[in-house]
Amino acid sequence: MTNILLIIFTISLIYLGVANRLKSYIAVISFQGIILFGVAFIELIEINWLNLVLILLETIVFKTIVIPYFLNYIIKKNKITREAEPFLPDFLSVVIITVIILGSFLLSNTINDPKLKKIFFVVALSALFTGLYIIVSRRKIITHVMGFLVIENGVFVLSMAVGNEMPMLVNIGILLDIFASVFLLGIFVNKIGDVLKEGDVEHLSKLKD
Amino acid sequence: MIGYYLTSAFIISILLFFNKNLKVNYLLTILFMILQWGFTIYEYNHKNITDLVYFTPDSLAIIFLVILSIVCIPAFYHSHIFCNSTKEIPYNRGIYFAAMVILLTSLSAAYLSNHIAITWIFVELTTLSSSALIYHRRNSLSLEGTWKYIFVCSISITLVFIGILFLSLAVQQSGGTDLFYKGLFSKAAGMNVFWVKLAFLFIFTGYTSKAGLVPMYTAGIDAKDKAPSPAAALFGSVLMNIGFIGIFRFYEIISATSILAWANNIMLITGVLSVFVATVYMLHVKNLKRMFAYSSVEHMGLIMIGLASGGIGRYAAILHLILHSLAKPALFFQMGQVSRIYNSKMIYELGDYFKYNLTGALVLLYAFFIVTAMPPSGMFVSEFLIFRSLFESGNFYVLVIILILLTMIIWAFGKNIFKMLFIKPVGFNDLNVEKISPVESISQFVLLTMVIYIGLNPPHELVLLINSAISNLPH
Amino acid sequence: MLSLLLIIIASLFFTGIIIRTKSILSGRKGPGIFQPLKDIWRLFKKGAVYSNTSSFVFQIAPSIYFASILMAILMIPLGGHQGIISFKGDFIFFAYVLALGKFFMIVSALDTGSSFSGMGASREALYSLLAEPAFFILMSSFALLTGYTSFHEIFSTLHFGTYISYAIGALAAFVLVIIALIENSRMPIDDPKTHLELTMVHEVMILDNSGFDLGLILYGTNLKFAMYGGLIANFFLTPSYEWYFSIPIFIGVQLLFAVIVGILESFMARFRMNHNPQYIFMLTSISLLIFLGVLLVLGKIA
Repeated sequence: MTNILLIIFTISLIYLGVANRLKSYIAVISFQGIILFGVAFIELIEINWLNLVLILLETIVFKTIVIPYFLNYIIKKNKITREAEPFLPDFLSVVIITVIILGSFLLSNTINDPKLKKIFFVVALSALFTGLYIIVSRRKIITHVMGFLVIENGVFVLSMAVGNEMPMLVNIGILLDIFASVFLLGIFVNKIGDVLKEGDVEHLSKLKD
Repeated sequence: MIGYYLTSAFIISILLFFNKNLKVNYLLTILFMILQWGFTIYEYNHKNITDLVYFTPDSLAIIFLVILSIVCIPAFYHSHIFCNSTKEIPYNRGIYFAAMVILLTSLSAAYLSNHIAITWIFVELTTLSSSALIYHRRNSLSLEGTWKYIFVCSISITLVFIGILFLSLAVQQSGGTDLFYKGLFSKAAGMNVFWVKLAFLFIFTGYTSKAGLVPMYTAGIDAKDKAPSPAAALFGSVLMNIGFIGIFRFYEIISATSILAWANNIMLITGVLSVFVATVYMLHVKNLKRMFAYSSVEHMGLIMIGLASGGIGRYAAILHLILHSLAKPALFFQMGQVSRIYNSKMIYELGDYFKYNLTGALVLLYAFFIVTAMPPSGMFVSEFLIFRSLFESGNFYVLVIILILLTMIIWAFGKNIFKMLFIKPVGFNDLNVEKISPVESISQFVLLTMVIYIGLNPPHELVLLINSAISNLPH
Repeated sequence: MLSLLLIIIASLFFTGIIIRTKSILSGRKGPGIFQPLKDIWRLFKKGAVYSNTSSFVFQIAPSIYFASILMAILMIPLGGHQGIISFKGDFIFFAYVLALGKFFMIVSALDTGSSFSGMGASREALYSLLAEPAFFILMSSFALLTGYTSFHEIFSTLHFGTYISYAIGALAAFVLVIIALIENSRMPIDDPKTHLELTMVHEVMILDNSGFDLGLILYGTNLKFAMYGGLIANFFLTPSYEWYFSIPIFIGVQLLFAVIVGILESFMARFRMNHNPQYIFMLTSISLLIFLGVLLVLGKIA
């Protein structure tokens, strides 16, 4: 069952390459939260229940509801235009994301390690690099935040791979997930709206040598 | 003890945040300094005794804790001067000092932590608190600096976390169950080399944002440029140390595995690239404060080179880091005076500093000799030892490249400093120049003299501490 | 033999059902199910008009197109019954026979010398080009999964054992549905109802065809739809089923397919022309995922 969920997760990554509205990005991030909820539920059912409840709450409350709601709120409040405005054409994005997925698959195939859950590894690496790609290829600050959230989701998948043995790591990942994404980036984008009026990364290029 | 320290520091920062009274503000910062020093002395006397499971004051931690306590006194002093000179409203002042207290506290805790994940948590806390300091001026440029700093740091902290995940895979295979440095070190020999390599790449890249090394150095530059000078002094010294500690503690684990030579190569390359990047930017930088920031990149690069070449270089690396974290704050504190006089940091608009601020100009001249490691400077000793270790490890080409780059850096540094000291500024109206009391420069003289003293005549106790800090590395 | 018959019967109803679904969903009564067929029959009774500038290519192209589709249909199996033509690697032949027909349609469009036809041909060529890798990767994944290379053998040995193979099957059905929509120039990619030359794809390519030729092309489209429906139906048929099970399943899948196409066309807007390539390429990416999933099932990766 986790395999199916992870495959769907990967398809959502490909869809990120095609999506050209900020709303679709938010929908994908929220959808990934639901998938991660499922994955966490199936994979971590054996760890102690308090921990499990914490993790499930994080995925369903934060990843699926709060953060997408918050992003929506920021977009509305700052009147950010709804297009994602990539530097590269979407077609290239899909191709690159596909190459990323294939690359992480090939990379993971070179690893000879019986203990590793390879599918987790592949999906996590793909999400990680897709997130990085979205950060470098999109113009708006808010899409950078979304790329970061995709990276965080990838890290969550990766921490699932070791989560059975060391639930503490999953917890720490969650703590900082909440910390970094909501607290910092969210509030910060608010402030950017106040000072810059337009959440565009091109306004942030005065500091240089 | 650390429990009391963390709680009381937290209470102090909350009080600072809510307090509106200037006198109480002074009192609270003095209280924190007393707390910090009491804590440092306590930990110094309880070396290697684990406290609250996750904190062990080992030699490395003690060294940097002492440095932090030394640097924090002038930092608070100059922060008060800074806030008075800009007539901060109590609210902003409160945020500034609360953030600084949190920064110093989380740095201390991160130094002492003996668990890789706990270090990581406190490093994230430093990102949060320093972003409040960078955003102090609340204009679009400082916003840009803060945004870049937070974003790069968040990504690099995620990279570190991924590295930790890989490391935990490796540990499980070698039979370990926890991520204490000690446990990791003892299990290191049995780890799967592939995972350790991946973990090293991720953790190393992640910590470079704090340490100011090549891939992620940009965040630190903008942060130091945009933060108020006293805060920049902390970023340029004690905050970079935490990056180094993160790398060093993992390097200890690596040194017990078979990939030590591989890791050394990576660190050597990173070091050389850092020096190279610093050279390139210092040659055409237009902003004096940013030049100081790039100079930090250069020194961190040298430190990595020293650590990677082994032998005497490891001792020299730590000595160099100590000296750097004493010398660099002096420059940034002086920078605060410079920007008060000229209202600018652009080299083009600065000049004739001797005329406007004699003591300050002397500090700059003095600091120039110290930071570029001219002979009386202690850094000369440590750099010399680093070069020796490079020579002994047979990396002649690297040595030649580094020497050439350093010459260019000295030239660039000297060109800008002497322009600033002796040549008339362009379009500067000197009618209403603020008179700066020589008293404000004392702290810088003290710090710079300490660099000479420690470098030329290191106290016996310090040598013992450094040697015990690097005792885990193979000889 | 059975599959050929069934597909031809299905083709008679297919477009009618789509149109009927659309009219019901938009609150109209709509034409009868046989209306499209009657239109085609009317075209068949007419003579064709050929432009002076066009050559023989333009005249033979519709026949070749129609023949290529018939040829492709011959290869579709039905459960345990193999198609009339069946040999190793026939799915490659299948794809290229269809491509041959398409090639002639494109050449004939260029032959007319009309700039609109040329534009349509270029778009059609681009979209088929992008959809082709998806089909090949999909079929070769199944070839890898079963170890056989002909439609009949692949589908008769394909059995969904583990739950992950259900996921693969569902994804494959999805990809095939979209490929069918692209190949038949239907809604999210192309709008058959539009009458503005600038936004047309398939319709503008056949702008100069008339009479009997146009009838052939239109009926070819119906056949093609039914053919893809038959291909999808094969995912749900196993050789163990008797004919009285497999025929209702076949008809059910065809019906469902037609209704789904109708629903899609009623509720989706057409993609912007310049967004089409990435959506089509996404199919290739998903097929690649299916391929990786097959590797997973086979235990090639842990």
